[in-house]
Amino acid sequence: MTATYVLAAVLGLLYAFGTFLVLRRDLVRVVWGVTIMAQATNVYLVTMGGFDGSVPVFGGHGDHAAASVQDPLVQALVLTAIVIGFGTTAFALVLTYRVYEEHGTIDLQQLGERAPDAAATEEGGDA
Amino acid sequence: MAAPHHVVVAPLLAALATAIATLLLRPLPRAQRAVSLLGGVAYAAGVAFLYRAVVADPDGYLVYALSNWEAPFGIVAVADPLSAFMLVIAAVVGLAALVFSVGYLDPADQTLAYHPLFHLMLVGVTGAFLTGDLFNLFVWFEVMLMASYVLVVFYSGPEHTRAALHYAVLNLIGSAVMLLAVGGIYAVTGTLNMADITARLASGAADPVPVLGLSAVLFAVFALKAGIVPFQFWVPAAYRAAPAPVTAVLAGVVKKVGIYAIVRLYFTVFAAATLPVSLPFIEGESFLAFFGPVMFAMAVASIVFGGIAAVNQPDLDGLLAYSSVGQVGFIVLPLAVAATAPDGGELMILGIAAALVYSLNHGIAKGLLFLGSGAARRATGTTEFAGLGGLSERDPVFAGAFFLGALALIGIPPLSGFFGKYLVFDVGVRAGSTAVLAVALIGAIFTIAYFSRAWNRAFWGEPVAYERKPLLVGVVAALGISLLVLGVGFDPVFRAAEAAAEAAVNRSGYVDAVLEVEL
Repeated sequence: MTATYVLAAVLGLLYAFGTFLVLRRDLVRVVWGVTIMAQATNVYLVTMGGFDGSVPVFGGHGDHAAASVQDPLVQALVLTAIVIGFGTTAFALVLTYRVYEEHGTIDLQQLGERAPDAAATEEGGDA
Repeated sequence: MAAPHHVVVAPLLAALATAIATLLLRPLPRAQRAVSLLGGVAYAAGVAFLYRAVVADPDGYLVYALSNWEAPFGIVAVADPLSAFMLVIAAVVGLAALVFSVGYLDPADQTLAYHPLFHLMLVGVTGAFLTGDLFNLFVWFEVMLMASYVLVVFYSGPEHTRAALHYAVLNLIGSAVMLLAVGGIYAVTGTLNMADITARLASGAADPVPVLGLSAVLFAVFALKAGIVPFQFWVPAAYRAAPAPVTAVLAGVVKKVGIYAIVRLYFTVFAAATLPVSLPFIEGESFLAFFGPVMFAMAVASIVFGGIAAVNQPDLDGLLAYSSVGQVGFIVLPLAVAATAPDGGELMILGIAAALVYSLNHGIAKGLLFLGSGAARRATGTTEFAGLGGLSERDPVFAGAFFLGALALIGIPPLSGFFGKYLVFDVGVRAGSTAVLAVALIGAIFTIAYFSRAWNRAFWGEPVAYERKPLLVGVVAALGISLLVLGVGFDPVFRAAEAAAEAAVNRSGYVDAVLEVEL
């Protein structure tokens, strides 16, 4: 039961930290913030499976007690989510580098000051 | 278990195979483009076959259990009239945009990644329309979004990277939130299969209170994908940055995935729960009683904000982008009325049907207009109103097609847009809601205002230098004609939308088809 409370506190801290980083001006920190939020969600998913059961394959076989089995589905979900998160994080980091190449800065304040509508007016897209 | 209906995954496989083939054919650009076009045709054919199979099926439900793992343990793909209707929108707009992009983009630009990404985006859209599993829906959203991030940043100039950054970061946060809600719903209901969630909520096996909160979180994510106010801020920059054919698909199809998810999850799945809700202005026995007023407020805000902002744009792309925000409001407005109507009643079905007809019309008309904006850029070098003028004199066919698209969004008979608007007003009248009528009227006036301005500035006045682009204009004209055909032969369209709406509220049919149990 204590594990639940500890994890609840950890999840709260992770989301708080992720939100804090997303609100930074530095673009790399924003990407970290998004990554931390995604990881916090993964931890949350694992937590949703509960902590009462034993190892799914082992429990109930041979001489082992026929204990209730841990839900394996959440772990399958988290594996999928981790793979997706890996891809999106890689893309976000490459995009950050491209933003730096194009604008010479990764400060969001300075990026915002290059008025978006004015920039769009210069050359609406592709020429 | 009945024999598996392989036709359910036909469009999915067509798009996936094309994506892989175009990736392998990069050394042969001409063959790559030909295969990509063929794949687009195969996708449309797959959708047509699936649609026919769904109509021919006595129950209207085709279930495909992946690897023959039975629901609710395996993942199922479910084709019913609702998903088939949405797939038709995707096929029409997707095929038109694909043909357009072959003539629009520089051949060297197309070689590297454009065609595989375009088809992968269609894979994601198709999967989202077909899946019967909540986590699988998240995965298809990610497939669709990953492809769209790269397509938004396609030109990777300064404004494109910035727009893609906004788009990607917002959607990454949205994805984390969606996963959170999906995990929570799994923890509460003990299942991810949508039909199983429906059955468990209906029988009271799952506690509805946490599901209401989690579904509200999920709603914010779908609203972000659909670009409904207050989650619309990524729309204009992303639509300006993406190449015109991609924007046509983003506005015409990808937005509709958010709408589809709202209809499918909130009207089919979550509405099964009975839960007395009592908050200020919100009272009722189901989740929909809670979401109805929320949708109404968001629809009103979208229509008003999108309309005001669109009137004041300096360029065609910006005008169309804000117009999409407003038009999505018109799709959500009848849904809001349907949500507060008696469950499964005539008004609820009519409201959903109105939203679907409007989605179809908006998908094709807005696709047409964004492609038209791209054609104008290729022909004159700009989409700024300052640099446009006299296009109706330079190219009457193009001007006529663009005019049809604008008239369809304004809602002039005999175009399909007239029926879309008419049904929204009809829903408002039947609900006896003057507020709905007033908002729809204000939105209609804004639509007329911004399209008159676009027409005056770009198509009348002093003619500018213009280079004819027959292929691009041909695609735009073909979409214009399809709007006319849909409007003149509207009866079958309406019956299809009505069948889709009935499928959306037919919970027992859905559960019975997927789980083979009586609800």
